[in-house]
Amino acid sequence: MSKSKLCVSALALSLMLGFAPAHAAEFKIGAEIPLSGNLARVGTAMNEGIQVAAEMFNKKSGKHSVKIITMDDESSPAKAVGAVEKLAADGVVAYTGGYGSNIIGPASEAAEKLGKVYVTSGGVASELTKRNLKTFFRINSSEGYARALMGMFNKQGVKSVAVVYSTKEATEEVAKMLQSGLGPQGVKVTMHAFDPATNDFKPIIHKIKLQDRPDAIAMIGYENDYVGILRAAKVLKPDIKTIAGVWSLATAKMAAEFPDLMENVSGTSTLSYPAEFTTPEAKEFAETYQKMFNKAPDYLGIFGYVQSKLLFEAVARAADTGTVDKGGIATEMRKTLSDTVIGKVRFDESGDNPEFTHRMGQHQAGKVVLVWPSDAATGTMKYPAVPW
Amino acid sequence: MNDKIKIALFLVLAYIAVPLALGSNAYVIGLIVAALTIGGIAVAWALLGNLGGMVSFGHAAFFGVGAYVSALLTLKGGWPVFPSMLMAGIGAAIASVATMPALRLRGPYFALAILAYAEIFRILATEAKPITGGAAGLLSIPRLPIVLGLDFGSKLGGYFVILTIVAASMAVYHLIRSSTYGLALKAMHDSEDATRVVGVNSTLLKAWMLAVSAFITGVVGAFNAHYINFLEPDYAFAGQWTTLAIVSAIFGGYRTVTGPLLGALVVYLVDQLAFKPILPQGHQIVLGVLLGAMILFSPGGLMPLLLAKKKGPAHAA
Repeated sequence: MSKSKLCVSALALSLMLGFAPAHAAEFKIGAEIPLSGNLARVGTAMNEGIQVAAEMFNKKSGKHSVKIITMDDESSPAKAVGAVEKLAADGVVAYTGGYGSNIIGPASEAAEKLGKVYVTSGGVASELTKRNLKTFFRINSSEGYARALMGMFNKQGVKSVAVVYSTKEATEEVAKMLQSGLGPQGVKVTMHAFDPATNDFKPIIHKIKLQDRPDAIAMIGYENDYVGILRAAKVLKPDIKTIAGVWSLATAKMAAEFPDLMENVSGTSTLSYPAEFTTPEAKEFAETYQKMFNKAPDYLGIFGYVQSKLLFEAVARAADTGTVDKGGIATEMRKTLSDTVIGKVRFDESGDNPEFTHRMGQHQAGKVVLVWPSDAATGTMKYPAVPW
Repeated sequence: MNDKIKIALFLVLAYIAVPLALGSNAYVIGLIVAALTIGGIAVAWALLGNLGGMVSFGHAAFFGVGAYVSALLTLKGGWPVFPSMLMAGIGAAIASVATMPALRLRGPYFALAILAYAEIFRILATEAKPITGGAAGLLSIPRLPIVLGLDFGSKLGGYFVILTIVAASMAVYHLIRSSTYGLALKAMHDSEDATRVVGVNSTLLKAWMLAVSAFITGVVGAFNAHYINFLEPDYAFAGQWTTLAIVSAIFGGYRTVTGPLLGALVVYLVDQLAFKPILPQGHQIVLGVLLGAMILFSPGGLMPLLLAKKKGPAHAA
């Protein structure tokens, strides 16, 4: 064999050994999620988004594929840890899912011990990203909810806000962010904490009406809290210009179940209702969702879809570099810079997505119209406008 | 087979055979640890129920207090984990003093009063935000330590720790039951008034049983906090710590020393390993049916059924 042929052969061999693309492979992904217990509804919705993400990824990838192994954590922190360990024993390379900061906390620490990536959108507590975990990633955060509320209030030119908030962890955090964000902008903020067991909000609303006299009321709570606050406000009719809240407020469920309370109320929302999808990816997501579950997707499904899609892409990239079992998935997650159906996503060192900003929707005649930011708007914001 | 051989066999099986057979399966060991955690509370609950004659619906209070004491001592006081767990037991026993006015109540009134105490402790933990972190809870609680090269923070290490806690609790239960105090407590079951007449301070004895039961539950709570490295009021004082313990103790036979542990192992492991894979959602209903059947057909629980002993009316035997 001549020297040149030998060189060519050696080069070809080295290319095959060192630089040839990795073989196509199927990767098991663990979905640790509440499918029973008090978080079953939200867990089920997120799980549907995860399944859609897997379906779309496998259809498009052409090379690597993913297989979702789902395990119900029964809305229990201890069982979530057990589920993470069981899924590891089943050979998963990473986890998607999790709902509730109290469950995500221990489950993601268990994943960290196993050296496997854990990605979620189900817990917004800032404590989760202060733990210096190397394998924890989250696509949303409290800041994103507070930013959306502040953005809408700023656009409306609101000068004073009464914040009515539950003393639960995530709600209190968003309320405090709202206070510290609006205060320096010259907006007068008054704070009204309530115990999660509260169901009579008339004393608080009465105080707001007679003492605070704000332009806006911000409700930072959960579904039952919103209903209680709005019922109290409908009776006492404080002289405000707008009323807004955060999660689980600007939803189809609230529009359908409480039409008399929701008109003109605003809340954070990923989707309009009826859902309007504009980008090709979002349209494909909605079609796949409809095909798989015979219904339109909700915002939890979208979050489950986005977090899982980003994870699958990171797994595929790590597979191409042969680093799936060597910490490559976390490395690839940190390289993420993607324009997704919930907006831009990138991860900082703590695993948080500093780009996350929610959108604001407003109930209008039985529909939910996206009204902020303007580039995502599907209708015109009504202001001043209240439900009574 | 006499009792000493049975105990030796149990210890060999628990400390050697189980780790050898299942040590490499972290998931199953994790489930056994969870079952033993429930078993520890069940033993403490049965001790109070059987020897103190009091049905408690509020053992979650002692579990939560113990968990918080140990977590805070290690996180904020810099204490080593094992001494903190011991202090957790003492903390829970001290907390039980606050519940002692309820000892003057009987039957469902005592049960409801102590349930209220669990709720009070939960609210206190939620409101004492500067100390406990409030509703946000405490993350990254120190794991169980490495001692003399043994990593108790591993799955198997955690198994040995909780197994030792449960075995020691059962030994304490047995010793009390065999002592003169145990005799007095048995007598109180038949007639508390008659026992008082012969000079037994029944209230003091009940208070001691409550403190011992709280101590054990507090240590188990502390173990759980260090094992899953997380704590929040809703979780620490969750009703499940009481209900699962009651179900386990009744299922296994709360008038025996080994029944509560056996009940916890069967209830938890059968549920998670057998029923859950078949019925991913709603598998707990099978347990409910089984518990109902057990109460109907063997009111004394699984242990007497296995031993096939037909004794007279059950009491503090």
